[in-house]
Amino acid sequence: MKFENIVLMILAILGIASLVRAVLGPTVWDRILGLNLLSSKIVMAIVVFAFLVNKSYLLDIAIIYALFGFVGIVMISRFVEKRGEL
Amino acid sequence: MRELIGNMLMVVALVFIFSGVFGLFKFKDFYPRILISSKVDTVGLITLMLGIIVKSGLNFFSLKVLIVMVLFVITNPLSTHSIARSAYNSGYKIKKEKSEKL
Repeated sequence: MKFENIVLMILAILGIASLVRAVLGPTVWDRILGLNLLSSKIVMAIVVFAFLVNKSYLLDIAIIYALFGFVGIVMISRFVEKRGEL
Repeated sequence: MRELIGNMLMVVALVFIFSGVFGLFKFKDFYPRILISSKVDTVGLITLMLGIIVKSGLNFFSLKVLIVMVLFVITNPLSTHSIARSAYNSGYKIKKEKSEKL
């Protein structure tokens, strides 16, 4: 077992732990914060996996995921702030 | 030698990310949570990407990893600011701490 496998396992455990905060958060913004942390953990895991299998095109997926996560978080928080209107 | 430095950087990055997730469960209020977790998470991603760049050497792969790192450093504080601004404008008050009562 290489070193990157262990890093991937620990990243998966931390991602599940940040998803628990998104499930049992008391307010709406705690849930949005948990989703933001899960998105960043997934970006890290994609980059480590692309280094593990040594394929360069997997990094494009990480770029696309980071951009869509940013747009999604900003749109959800504006939706909550304006109370239902975008 | 290069692999050893890369592995040490990745272990340091895992310690940073773990402290961010641990702070998410320790604090009872929303604003300390978002302060701790977002900052430490950005530092953890920078250190992890630096470890992968050191292990991979200078080629096409590490250049794309550098692009991911720069993009994430720009966008993650913006999204965190957006969440905190939404909570403040909606009227979420800061709770009084116990040290003020004493």
